[in-house]
Amino acid sequence: MTAIEIEAHIRDFLTNNFIFDPSFQLGSNDSLMENGVIDSTGVLELIMWLETNFDITVGDNEVLPENLDAVYSLTNYVQRKLMAGMAALS
Amino acid sequence: MIVTAGPADVGLCSRCVLPDTFPGIIFDDEGVCNYCHRALVEQKLAAQREVARARFDQLLEEVRGRGTYDVLVGWSGGKDSTYILARLLKEYSVRVLAFTFDNGFVSKQAFRNMEKLSDSLGVDHIIYKGRFDVMKRVFNASALGDELYPKSALGRASNICTSCMGLAKSLALRLCIEKNIPMTAFGWTPGQVPLASGIFKSNPQMIRKMQEAASGPMRRLVGDEAVRPYFLEEEHYERPERFPYNISPLAFMVYDETKVYEYVEALGWKRPRDTDANSTNCLLNSYAINIHLDQARFHPYVAELAGLVREGRMERAEAISRINEMPSEKVVNFVTDRLGVPRYKSAR
Repeated sequence: MTAIEIEAHIRDFLTNNFIFDPSFQLGSNDSLMENGVIDSTGVLELIMWLETNFDITVGDNEVLPENLDAVYSLTNYVQRKLMAGMAALS
Repeated sequence: MIVTAGPADVGLCSRCVLPDTFPGIIFDDEGVCNYCHRALVEQKLAAQREVARARFDQLLEEVRGRGTYDVLVGWSGGKDSTYILARLLKEYSVRVLAFTFDNGFVSKQAFRNMEKLSDSLGVDHIIYKGRFDVMKRVFNASALGDELYPKSALGRASNICTSCMGLAKSLALRLCIEKNIPMTAFGWTPGQVPLASGIFKSNPQMIRKMQEAASGPMRRLVGDEAVRPYFLEEEHYERPERFPYNISPLAFMVYDETKVYEYVEALGWKRPRDTDANSTNCLLNSYAINIHLDQARFHPYVAELAGLVREGRMERAEAISRINEMPSEKVVNFVTDRLGVPRYKSAR
């Protein structure tokens, strides 16, 4: 899955579950928390969705703003996890 | 109260109760909304609830006896938090500290309920009454719309509720860390908190980021000194091992509102007569509903009620009657007078 595809999935999930308003413009580096997109319970929903949708495990030590607080960082994080998973298989 | 859905359900999803004014909503040919299509089927939910219940039981055993209390329960005095409090005490035999945030608008009957039940249940109870001048400024700014929150926040609750609950949850977290209480429980219904968020451990780094996001606009509004007691300080972050588990037991228990009423009424709890159809403790909610209806053009409880209907925990007709029942004008006037703002008449 390419970074563009991952980002599209993430944006779709955020729009449908937290932003609701399709006209709301969310920049790739905009903080999800500072922009009121997700709160403490939203983070949990997001993690559950990442694990289910991308078949990855989000470790407790990875629940960090630098991994989860913007579309760009989320995309990078998922891509890293997917690549690590593939490397482990090969 | 169960009523038959009639013309009032025009424009609503034919399965849940989300209206055509709800952001991002799309209906299929049969009038079923996209949110219903995405919802988890009951079979899958039941399995997940079972896993969460087992995890909760296991966690309770892990934390029992670890701190000054086992659980801090956020107790609004409403039916749901009273239900959680009583069940934890009676069925799980845990040591509970009940915590109430008084925003200046708690119904007198809710206070009478709490006084009676804290005695009969045998529970320590802390009531934190916020400075009313601060509450007033925060709630008035919240009512204005986007001064404190982006428009997207309106999808889940009214801005006034978001402010109030943000302060209450932060105070509860602060108290848990200071008193070394390893678990905090709230009476959020399944419609308010998805199953995925029913149990989680507070993560200090994420909490810090969220607190910065929430406290910044409030600090600018009412000043650092007024806001400081509500949010965490460096000394709290220096004790990451004391960050509690957050539990919303109703997310994974079988939730039946009628049974919740029966259970708490059997304990002596009485429903306040001055609250709106969606609250059993707070008068401010009546005003918040009116404001939200005019700003967002949908009821602030519609997402929660739609969730309960989808999961079969509430009759659709009952949810529609809740959405259509406007709060008492007398109560709304009481709230606006106390907030020092002009009396408010909803455009609806």
